[in-house]
Amino acid sequence: MSTEFHNLQELRHSVSVATKVFIQRDYSQGTTCRFQTKFPSELDSRIERTLLEDTVKTLNSYYAEAEKMGGQSYMEGCLACATAYLIFLCMETRYEKMLKKISGYIQEQNEKIYAPRGLLLTDPIERGMRVIEVSVFEDRGSSGSSHSSSVSSGGISQR
Amino acid sequence: MPNSVGKRFKPTKYIPVSTAATFLVGSTTLFFVFTCPWLTNTISPAVPLYNGVVFLFVLANFSMATFMDPGVFPKADEDEDKDDDFRAPLYKNVEIKGIQVRMKWCATCHFYRPPRCSHCSVCDNCVEDFDHHCPWVNNCIGRRNYRYFFLFLLSLSIHMVGVFSFGLLFVLHHMEQLGTLHTTVTLVVMCIAGLFFIPVMGLTGFHMVLVARGRTTNEQVTGKFRGGVNPFTRGCCGNIKYVLCAPLAPRYNGVDPRKKPPVSIQPPFIRPDLSDRQISIKVSNNGIHTSILQSKSKISLDGLAVDDKGLDTQPPLPPKAERYNQLKSQLTSSQDSSLSGKTHPSTPAMYKYRPSFGTIPKVHYHAAGEKIVMPDDHRKASAILEEGRCHVDYRSEPNLDLPDYRNAPLHRSFQSSPLQLDSYPINSSSLNLKQAHQRRDKGQLPVLQPETVTSTPYKSVFSPLSNRNSSLSYDSLLNPSISPATAAECMAHPGMPSMGSHSPYLPTKMCHVRGPEPQIQKQQVPPSFSPVGMGMSRGRQSPQDRDLSPVRYDNLSKTIMASIQERKEMEEREKLQHHGGCSQAQSYAQAQDSGMFDSSGGYGLPPSACYPDSPRDPSSRGPTPPAYRGSRDNLMGVVSYGPRTPVLRSSGGSSLARAPRTSSSSLHTDSSMQGGRVPETPCRSPPHQPHHSPAKPQSPSYTHKKLSFIHALERTDSPRLGGPREAMMQSKVNGQTDCHLGPNSSSAQGTTLSPSRHSNVKKVTGVGGTTYEISV
Repeated sequence: MSTEFHNLQELRHSVSVATKVFIQRDYSQGTTCRFQTKFPSELDSRIERTLLEDTVKTLNSYYAEAEKMGGQSYMEGCLACATAYLIFLCMETRYEKMLKKISGYIQEQNEKIYAPRGLLLTDPIERGMRVIEVSVFEDRGSSGSSHSSSVSSGGISQR
Repeated sequence: MPNSVGKRFKPTKYIPVSTAATFLVGSTTLFFVFTCPWLTNTISPAVPLYNGVVFLFVLANFSMATFMDPGVFPKADEDEDKDDDFRAPLYKNVEIKGIQVRMKWCATCHFYRPPRCSHCSVCDNCVEDFDHHCPWVNNCIGRRNYRYFFLFLLSLSIHMVGVFSFGLLFVLHHMEQLGTLHTTVTLVVMCIAGLFFIPVMGLTGFHMVLVARGRTTNEQVTGKFRGGVNPFTRGCCGNIKYVLCAPLAPRYNGVDPRKKPPVSIQPPFIRPDLSDRQISIKVSNNGIHTSILQSKSKISLDGLAVDDKGLDTQPPLPPKAERYNQLKSQLTSSQDSSLSGKTHPSTPAMYKYRPSFGTIPKVHYHAAGEKIVMPDDHRKASAILEEGRCHVDYRSEPNLDLPDYRNAPLHRSFQSSPLQLDSYPINSSSLNLKQAHQRRDKGQLPVLQPETVTSTPYKSVFSPLSNRNSSLSYDSLLNPSISPATAAECMAHPGMPSMGSHSPYLPTKMCHVRGPEPQIQKQQVPPSFSPVGMGMSRGRQSPQDRDLSPVRYDNLSKTIMASIQERKEMEEREKLQHHGGCSQAQSYAQAQDSGMFDSSGGYGLPPSACYPDSPRDPSSRGPTPPAYRGSRDNLMGVVSYGPRTPVLRSSGGSSLARAPRTSSSSLHTDSSMQGGRVPETPCRSPPHQPHHSPAKPQSPSYTHKKLSFIHALERTDSPRLGGPREAMMQSKVNGQTDCHLGPNSSSAQGTTLSPSRHSNVKKVTGVGGTTYEISV
């Protein structure tokens, strides 16, 4: 799965996913979608705290807005009920729109901030909104340059 | 069957849904065909319209409930569960609005189920906000389709009420024509509606209550919030609003890979500035081990730092053992946490509840990162252990300075106060006073680490012996894998593994030091005189040393001083080795064996025969050489008479006896100063061990620690040393053993144990006033 969106083979320098760091959900406020803003220590040497925390906070705000029970969600529900839910075939719900926005945001963050640091954020929707997966890449040319936990390296090799 | 073995086509599971659909559609159709025309004509066309709308609503919700993804979680990737499968507990606790909620590990899906998530065995999926699996729609009801299910129930109830009422109206108006087709059909429809009315209405009412309470069927049926508070409730109105008006949740499964433009990742990678991050590492370091410390995961160091700070707040020489006990408990708990992974390798699915997680009620799932760190911790710790071990094991020179030990990770934790220097020469993992002084300058070492500290001196003291001693090699062998655990266990400190690893003796020593109490001694390791032996015994026992007896500082200090003394004695012994007297060791060993049993608390072993009247006769060096204090954690085999009679005996006997057992053959060799004994002692140890094992739990293994030569000396010197030492020793309940090495050349010793074993007993006075007797 890592090869879906990483053109690793096309790169001059070979990189490999050394490990994956998972930012877990923050359930302290219920089951609304929130991710922990606690900075994982494995990324200490790879990225500044503020950058990652900003990203996570922005994602949290997007998710909060997507799940907001306001006028728009109520109208959508009534409309769907009235049309016997046929409206879902034509229209995109607000949540889905937010998800697209989030996906675009993550893509942009990856391009601008994380890829230059050898990291890659995975959209949480692909993981069931349970974790934000941060893939840590290592430059094969300089092995050991970034020394992160090697726990999942074996797992990665299995993929 | 076209399907694979895993997914067989089971027609039976479609029976309920087929039945329900058949009844629903069929009945309604019949109603419309046979009843509605008359109603339209008689009452109004609004009747069929109304019924039509309701029926449409029922159908729509029924379809949505049946075909909509309820919120299935995709199974986790292998990478995600890597950390969890073998080291994680079955449950993780998470706090939701102040209420502890348990997240269970799903063995099928390989993740910790989010709150309110449950695994459906019919669908074999974890479903978000799992309500129940409804056979009538042949689907799980979860977060995404609960609203449709609820509306289906509501609308079906309304529909049934409507059909029944209009049918009744029709029948009442056609009472005289009950035999006609229309009436009959209407009656049949009414019967069906009436038949399903009770269950459907019951279910609807049930779910209305659930919605109002904000619970799922699963939670209600399992009684999760029976007596407590539901953290997921938003209040009655909020709950209703949530069910009816919340936006449709997204699908997780079947999410198309979303062909995004691939992100190219090319080195070189930007790295953040790390300078300030490593400062914390260096602070507790005296600077020598910077590299080692940096390689360790931060958490381990932080953990160390935390403990260190805790220790620093305490006075350098806590006069009471309570403080030490506190520290130890502190360590033990953290040690348990850190070591849980090691001790419970089974998967969470095997329902091994790890104390570490269990005892920590906070949001544990946070520690996805932490979990990653822990293996790091262990790995790095073991790496460091290896390093440390190298320092220890392969040093052959009896160098008191032990410059290498400075590098020991022990350093980190040793911020002993200057005052502790005497008691914990190990502070810097070496008995070297010079080094200790150096360390003092560094600042306060944590009091916590007296254990580690104490162990260090042993390491340093006996390093010369180790090379000679096979037992030492055993120690080093003991733990490339175990030492971290051992050390950690002994140390009871997550950060300690490195330190423990530093010397194989450390764990032993630590345990030794810690277990002065007689009853706790799990460490039965015969505290052979040699640290090696101690180390070994400790190493073996450390896994058992979960509950360490509190160590008294005064005892500890003496112990450490004793260790210092031992070093000196070692040197002296080496000189004296060339003296003869092989038998001495043996006889001593025997005596000590017997003595050990006594000390252990009355196992009443034979030694009593050997030491018939030691307690009573201080002057007689009989069974209990005066030097043998019963103190358990005596490092040196303190000899004392008097009140500690049983202890004394054991101490006396144990030192020798244990020594061989712990394979401290080197010790014996050294103690006895006779090369000839070396081969004998190893032979002795095995047989003794079984003997002492029963004793172990009772008597602190420290009694073992008596050096064989001490016994000899002690016996000789007992009359001389007994008095003052008794006083000293009696004050130490835990049996701190002082080594009394006295230059007692002749006399006493041989009498009870083995007259032939008389050797020169040399008395050496230790720093703390302890005297050690070295049999020459």
